[in-house]
Amino acid sequence: MTKLLEVQGVTKKFGGLVALNDLSFYVEEGEVLGLMGPNGSGKTTIFNTIMGDFPPDSGRILFKGEDITKLPTYHRVRMGIARTYQVPRPLKEVTIFDDVRVSTVSPSIIRCLTGKVTAHDAVIKKILEDVGLSGRFSMYPHELTMGDLRRVELAKALATNPRIVLLDEIFAGLTVAEIEEIDKLLRRKREQEGLDFVVVSHDLKALAPLVDRVVVIDFGQFIAEGPFDQIVNDEKVKEAYFG
Amino acid sequence: MIRRLRWWLIAIAVMCVLPLFVPMSITRLLVMAAYLAIFAMSWDMMSGYTGYVSFGHPFLIGVAAYVSAFLSHQEGFQPPHIVLPLYITIPLGVAAAVGGGMLFFLPSMRVRGPYFSLVSLAFMEILHRLIIAIRPEYTGGDRGLPALPAVVTGAVPNYYLALGLMFAVAIGLWFVTRSDVGYVLKTIRMDEDVVEASGISTYKFKRFAFILSAATAGLGGVFYTHYLQSLGPRWAFSATFLLDIIIAAVIGGMGTITGPIFGGYFLTFILEYLRPYLFGQWRLFAYALAAIFIVIYRPKGFYGIAQDVRGWFQRRRIRGEV
Ligand SMILES: Nc1ncnc2c1ncn2[C@@H]1O[C@H](COP(=O)(O)OP(=O)(O)OP(=O)(O)O)[C@@H](O)[C@H]1O
Ligand SMILES: [Mg+2]
Repeated sequence: MTKLLEVQGVTKKFGGLVALNDLSFYVEEGEVLGLMGPNGSGKTTIFNTIMGDFPPDSGRILFKGEDITKLPTYHRVRMGIARTYQVPRPLKEVTIFDDVRVSTVSPSIIRCLTGKVTAHDAVIKKILEDVGLSGRFSMYPHELTMGDLRRVELAKALATNPRIVLLDEIFAGLTVAEIEEIDKLLRRKREQEGLDFVVVSHDLKALAPLVDRVVVIDFGQFIAEGPFDQIVNDEKVKEAYFG
Repeated sequence: MIRRLRWWLIAIAVMCVLPLFVPMSITRLLVMAAYLAIFAMSWDMMSGYTGYVSFGHPFLIGVAAYVSAFLSHQEGFQPPHIVLPLYITIPLGVAAAVGGGMLFFLPSMRVRGPYFSLVSLAFMEILHRLIIAIRPEYTGGDRGLPALPAVVTGAVPNYYLALGLMFAVAIGLWFVTRSDVGYVLKTIRMDEDVVEASGISTYKFKRFAFILSAATAGLGGVFYTHYLQSLGPRWAFSATFLLDIIIAAVIGGMGTITGPIFGGYFLTFILEYLRPYLFGQWRLFAYALAAIFIVIYRPKGFYGIAQDVRGWFQRRRIRGEV
C-alpha cells in the first residue's frame, strides 16, 4: 500500500498555544481514515495546514509523495485535495447552484473569457442531486437548514474533482436518515471513483461503519491509531476523552 | 436579444444625436460626464468587483496623463527635449499607468485586508509631492502643464470622441464581467479563502482585474487631459477627484459596470446644478451622506433600483395577464 497523504512532524503554534505538536499520520490509497480527538485537539487546524491556509512552524505535508508544504492552496486543490468547512462557508449572495459553480470554473483566465458560463451546468446539477439537494438549486444559503448547508459544502468539494476529501464534521446537525444518505454517497464515490476521505466526526455512530482506520489526537499530539473497535477501548483514548 | 437590448439601443441613439439639440455648455458637461463614467467603470472593475477598494485611481490616471502630456508638450522645454505625436504618447501613457500600477500596487494585493487601499492612497500622495518637488521646470510643478495638444478640437467632436471611448470601455468591461472572470471576481469579494479552496488562484484574477482597471483609467486619463489641454497636480491628485470617481461608482451600483456609467452622468449634472450651494467642505459632507445612505439602503445603487422597478413591472404584467 502506498501513502496518498502524509503529515510529517507538523507543529503549529498560535502565539503561546501549541495547536499541533509534532503530529504525524498518513492516509493510504483507497482508505477512509477517521480523525478523532476531543474539542480543541487540533483536528480543524491540521485540515487547515493540509490545505495550506497557513504554513506550519515545522514539519512537512506530502501528497502522492510530493512535498506540498510550500504550495499555495489552489495548487493543492488542483492536485486533488478538497475540504469541507466545519462551519459551512456558503457564498451568501448567490444561489447554491452558483456557489458550486465556483468549483467548476476554469483556472485559466483566457478560457474563462471565451468559454460559456453554462458549460458545467450538467455536472453541477448531477453533484447537487448526488448530495441530496434536488429541487433546491435556486435557493440562497439563508433559506437552507444546517444539514443542507453541509451538503453544499460536500458538493463544492466534490465539484473540484478531488482525489481525497477532508470532511470536517460533515454529519453534525443531520438526521439519522440524512446521515445514512451521505454515508451511502461517500461509499459510492469511494467504490466507483476511488476517492479517499479523512473524516472528522463527533458522531461515533456515523463514523464507525465508514472508516477503515482511526487516528486519535489530543492537544495536537498523536496518541493512538488502529481499527475503530480497538481504538474506542484504548486506555489512552479513554483518558483523552473522559480523563 | 434585440428585445433585451432595446433600452440600451434607445439610450445610445439618444446620446448620438444629443449634441444637435442641447446648448454647447451642456455638451461640454456631457464630455466631462463621459470621462467620469470611464473612471467610475475603471474603479468598479477593480474595487466594485473584488472588494479591494482602490484609493489610487487618481495615481493611475495621473501617471498616464503626465507621461502623455510631458512627451507631447510643445513649450517651455530645453533641448534635447523631443516632442512626440499623440498616437505614440497616448499608448505610452496607458502603458505607464499599467506598469506603474503593477509595480506599486500589485504586491499589496497578495495580502488580504486593507493594505491595498492604504498603499494605493499613499502612492497617490507620493506622486503628487514628487511632481511638485522634482524638476518643476519639466513637470510644471504646482502650476501643471498648460497648452497641451488636443486630439480633436471643439465641443462636438470631443463629445463623440468621449462617447466612443466610453462605449468601447463599457462594452469591453461588460464582456469581461459577464464571463466567468466577472463571476470569480465577485465571489472573491464574498469569501476569498473559499474561492482559493475551489482551486482558483485568486491573485491571478485580481491581477487581471487590476490590469484592466489600470488600462481603462490610463486611457481615460490621457484623453481627458488632452481634452482639457492642460494638466495640474491640484486637480489630478485631489481627494475630491478621487471621491468623485468612487461616489459615481457607488451611487451607480458597484459590481455592475453599467451602473457607474449612470453614476458618472448623474454626479456630473447634480454637481453642476448644485454648485452654488455645495462648495468645499459641503460637497464632501454631501458625499459622505450619500455614500452612507446608499451603502445602507441600496448597496446596488441606481442599478439595483432599476432592477427593482423592472421586477415590479414584470410582476404587474404577469398579474395582468392572469
Ligand atoms: N486561527 C487560530 N488562531 C488562534 N488559535 C487557533 C486558531 N485556530 C485554532 N486555534 C486554537 O487551536 C486549538 C485547536 O483548534 P481546532 O479548531 O483545530 O480544534 P478541533 O479539534 O477542530 O476542535 P473542535 O472539535 O471543537 O472542532 C484550539 O485551542 C483553538 O482555540
Ligand atoms: Mg474543528
